[in-house]
Amino acid sequence: MVAMAIFVLICAAMFGLLQLSQQKYNSESQMSGSFQEARLGVDQIVRDISISGYPSLGMFSNPISTAAYAASPFAWDPGYPGVPCNVGSTCSPTPGDFDVIVETDLGNGNGVSWVRYQLVGTTLYRGVVTKTVGGDPVAATPTSALTPFVLNVMNNVTGSLQAQIAAQYPNRFPNWPVPIFQYTCNTPSGPQPCTSAAATNYNTVKNISDVDITLLV
Amino acid sequence: MNKNINSNARKSRLPRESGAAMLIAVFALLLISVVAIALLVSTGTNSSLAGNYRTATSAYYAGIAGLEEARGRLLWKNPNYINLTNSYSNLLSPSGTPTWNLTQVLYITNPGPGETVDPTNPNPAYYPDTEYGQEFAWGLGGAAIQTPLASVSSVPSLPVGPSYKWVRINPVTEKALNIDVNGDGILDGASVLFYDPARLNTSNQPAASLVLAATPGSPPVAPTPTGVEALEITALAVAANGGQRLLQYVVAPMIISPDVADQGFPAAVTLDDGATGSVLTFNPPNGYLINGVDSCNPPPPTPSSVAAVAYSSSANQGYMVGQVNLNPSDYSGAQYPPPPPPPPPPAPFSPSLWYLPQQSAPPPPPSSSPPFVGSPLRQSWLTPLSLDAVMQDIENSADVVLSGPATGAQIWAAAPSMTAANPMTIVVNGDLTLSGGFGTPQSGYGLLLVTGILTFHPTAAWNGLVLVVGQGQFLMAGHHGSGGITGAVFVAQTRDSSGNLLPTLQATFGPSSGSALGNGINYSSCWVRTAQGPLTYKVLSFHEILLP
Repeated sequence: MVAMAIFVLICAAMFGLLQLSQQKYNSESQMSGSFQEARLGVDQIVRDISISGYPSLGMFSNPISTAAYAASPFAWDPGYPGVPCNVGSTCSPTPGDFDVIVETDLGNGNGVSWVRYQLVGTTLYRGVVTKTVGGDPVAATPTSALTPFVLNVMNNVTGSLQAQIAAQYPNRFPNWPVPIFQYTCNTPSGPQPCTSAAATNYNTVKNISDVDITLLV
Repeated sequence: MNKNINSNARKSRLPRESGAAMLIAVFALLLISVVAIALLVSTGTNSSLAGNYRTATSAYYAGIAGLEEARGRLLWKNPNYINLTNSYSNLLSPSGTPTWNLTQVLYITNPGPGETVDPTNPNPAYYPDTEYGQEFAWGLGGAAIQTPLASVSSVPSLPVGPSYKWVRINPVTEKALNIDVNGDGILDGASVLFYDPARLNTSNQPAASLVLAATPGSPPVAPTPTGVEALEITALAVAANGGQRLLQYVVAPMIISPDVADQGFPAAVTLDDGATGSVLTFNPPNGYLINGVDSCNPPPPTPSSVAAVAYSSSANQGYMVGQVNLNPSDYSGAQYPPPPPPPPPPAPFSPSLWYLPQQSAPPPPPSSSPPFVGSPLRQSWLTPLSLDAVMQDIENSADVVLSGPATGAQIWAAAPSMTAANPMTIVVNGDLTLSGGFGTPQSGYGLLLVTGILTFHPTAAWNGLVLVVGQGQFLMAGHHGSGGITGAVFVAQTRDSSGNLLPTLQATFGPSSGSALGNGINYSSCWVRTAQGPLTYKVLSFHEILLP
């Protein structure tokens, strides 16, 4: 009887532990999946941005068309391909905190493409469209033409989700929402955040030198 | 008897209790095992995910390291310059500019411990270069492969260096890049590509770009005097898990020259007042010598002399003629005709003074355009915005960057290894007072860029180029000394005192707050060429090549 009682107690403890372990395993698996998805996402974004602007106009003495080269590492709106807009002020929707269109040749034989990353809700979308003469990069890459790329992106959540993150990481994100894309511009005084006062007059899209990527999942 | 009773009692308990203990132990072990395995699986998956990401990323950066090693070692002033012992004189000129023939290929290899890297060997174990054959029809079998160099990327304090395996350097063609540079509808595989930093588009605007060689075949001939050969650098990096990344640069040497014919600098002192500037100050003290006769020994065949002073806007002709005629014997050098009217030509004058007409867009100007001797200034050196961009390139490749106001002592302290054999590029963002000591002047060597006001004392000496671009004011101070400038001086004001871009260029040379004698300014083509560079190899493009 005593042995049975001990056996039942140990079994209960073990099953409790097993259940906890299972729950932990499931959540860890989900977290691993999210992290892996985010890593792949960041890796792809970094790759695309690293090769952005290829080939530039400087690679041509007589380009056969405007679609043969990248007008800039990043497409912009409004005004493309005319006067570049100012990052953080006149540029809307792109390049923005949650929306960027990279211009580059991906080496897939299609020539220069527009690669758009856009956050909608908690899903970061990605889409690739071949650049066309006279085309509008924003109109050519509507959300409906993009595919979900990274899920559970928390950069722009509100309400209880934001409160949970703030509670979990106090003082970590003093400014909310957290931009996925933050731009640095070349200025006479060196690289400066494009939205800073030091970059006034030097914050056009064509002055972007670096992009910081922050992905919260 | 007692013994038997005890024995029976023990026998009666054993069958009921020993099995339960066994079961408990087995179940406990089983459950613990399940929990442990679950935890192990979870941890292992996480670790392998992170590991895969790390190795893939490290291969990418290893490839970048390979590209940067090759780009750095192409530069003549790099201690590991690839032509340091003149072993590759067929690839690089004495001044360090590339002269590669179409099929020439140079590898830098970086084998890991105990492995062999031979990109020309098709054996997969040797990391073969399968990309070259994709880009060039003759493949590695038809290439003139140079003796490979070993990487210098390993760091003694680290067990292994970057994990790239090889880097290839070679000329580049339209076919190799898969880019129709000249828009003729043909991907030319026989003409080497050059980079022309002074090219103008049909609207007469600066449009630096790749251009095709003047004629196909070897040796390549630049289509314009300012064209420099572009090179392709390709790096293969292999991750620990076997994943490969192939990255590629197209680079070109960056040579600072205001002269459209790439003849160095047009004068001992060039005052860049743009195409239409009307504000110019030229007021050196009496006895301040400016000599355009080439002091290089031995001098190059041509030109043996340049002008003592040059300016670019004909609107300032009358002023400049009047100023140099105040002390005509102070200025010696080549004689050039005065610019055309307006204003009406003055009486012939003997001081060396050169009017610099502006670079013309293609097609060439009609014969009725003003006659001139020598080469005009590049279009990109005639507007404040474009000239600032050129200076930004210099700053990006500088060895030392100081914030002004600065002194000569700060330069000597920041660049202790600067010598005649090791000239440097020094940038001062702001004002600079350049003075040395009594007796032998303290000397600087290389390229000096000052964005503020430069106050030069004759107790200091500079051998090379002095660019005063920004506030564009070259002032003299002090009374005595044996220093001066050997090389060339270029002055242009692009910004007002608040830092705003000016609509047109201006320049100020002088006055002096003392008698400021010394040796003045003496043109030297040798020092000009030494300081000109190449300053760096500019990255024209970067992309990753997808591997099959």
